[in-house]
Amino acid sequence: MIFCQLKYHAWLRVSATPVLVLLSSLGLFAADNPPQVTLDASKASPRSVETLTQRAIIRDYKFAWTSLDSALESNSAGPLSGLFAGTANTWLREEISSQQSSGITSHYLNQHHKLEAVFYAPVGDVIELHDTAEYDFEIHDGGKTIHSEHAIVRYVVLMTPGADRWVIRQLQAVLQF
Amino acid sequence: MSLSINTACKNPSASSILVVGIFICVTMIAAAQDAPLRVPSNAVAGQAASISTTGSGSATFYLRGPSISLKRDVQLGQTIDLTVKQLQAAGRYVAVLCAGDCSSAAFFVASGKPAVLTFLVHPSRAPVGSNDVISGVALPFDQFRNLILAPETIQFQLTPKGSAPTLRSVPTHDGVAWFRTGSGKSAGALQISASLSDIVARRVVQQVASDPCNLRIKGQRTAKGILVETEPVRDCSGNPVPDGTIVTFTAKNGQDVSFVDAPVKQDVARAILAAKGPVVVSAASGVATGNELRLGGQE
Repeated sequence: MIFCQLKYHAWLRVSATPVLVLLSSLGLFAADNPPQVTLDASKASPRSVETLTQRAIIRDYKFAWTSLDSALESNSAGPLSGLFAGTANTWLREEISSQQSSGITSHYLNQHHKLEAVFYAPVGDVIELHDTAEYDFEIHDGGKTIHSEHAIVRYVVLMTPGADRWVIRQLQAVLQF
Repeated sequence: MSLSINTACKNPSASSILVVGIFICVTMIAAAQDAPLRVPSNAVAGQAASISTTGSGSATFYLRGPSISLKRDVQLGQTIDLTVKQLQAAGRYVAVLCAGDCSSAAFFVASGKPAVLTFLVHPSRAPVGSNDVISGVALPFDQFRNLILAPETIQFQLTPKGSAPTLRSVPTHDGVAWFRTGSGKSAGALQISASLSDIVARRVVQQVASDPCNLRIKGQRTAKGILVETEPVRDCSGNPVPDGTIVTFTAKNGQDVSFVDAPVKQDVARAILAAKGPVVVSAASGVATGNELRLGGQE
């Protein structure tokens, strides 16, 4: 009997794996992984994007989304400092401020960003990216999850070079590119 | 643990749990998609909109957008009005309605009409006679600083000092229009403007003389040494080079070589060389070299 119960628990362990995979894919049991970012700069014009610049953009975009998620989850604008500027910075801070007022938090999980550079200015002072982002998005009111979805959202992004990194100036979701 | 042992002692209720779990998940997703709220289909930034609801009783409404997150109590079956301020940022919004269970729907807000033109021009100073040295990038935004992605035609106008303006019409692609051009032959201010309807952004590029060309020098012995000076230093287009441009004078006396750097001041560079005996003096600035000047010795 004991032997059979042990085997029964083992069966549960084996059976639980596909269940967890299923739940995870449905966004109900999502893990908090760092954002995955890829960049295709082959169509950038009129200036081509140098390899080092591509790496810097990927690094800074990834960090910006990590910080954005952290800021919206904790309702603190601190993580945004130095990563966003201009309109993007203003909007995000307003969003955090209104989240604080309404007691709401939001969370981006399992982020995958496919970036495509569509414009890189002749002197390299601004780059426009199209981001096809895929993530699990949750909104919480207190401890209650009021919205959870697996979303594919397209963003038009303007980035400019700062003193030591690329900063996001525009982060605008669009229906279609 | 092998699968055959598990199968031998399998508890039938475990597979039932799995099936029921999947059923519950699918049911939840289906319920979430059946939202009792109708969101705007063509919302525009700067325009009020409304969300209609169905049912009866009270509920909690949430709106989460690019610059807003709000929560308010509403009555089901009534229309929820969204103000201009609540929809001023273009992007994706999620409306959530909770009355026991929560339902949600997403909608997009598009940019409004052009109101601002961001115009980036480089460089601020450009040497004359250079190809593709000046460039400009224009991006139209609406009054709330949303990038306008619908095609617009930007008029670029370039007006060199004392010359007729040239016009270029460039349509925006992905919200950007740009141009690149060479500098003119004459030094002076180049006025550049970008316009869209009645929105105009102006910039100025100062076209400056290029590198010196055809240096000519003259000199004479004085009590203090050899006084050498250039004729007015100009670039190859005849524009006087800016004050401060460095001219290097070189004096050779056999194996002895001495150098003096002198800045151009009011078109001319001057220096005194403390050389004795017969010397050969020459001058150079940038890649340009001047004539050689031979002066005899003097005790």
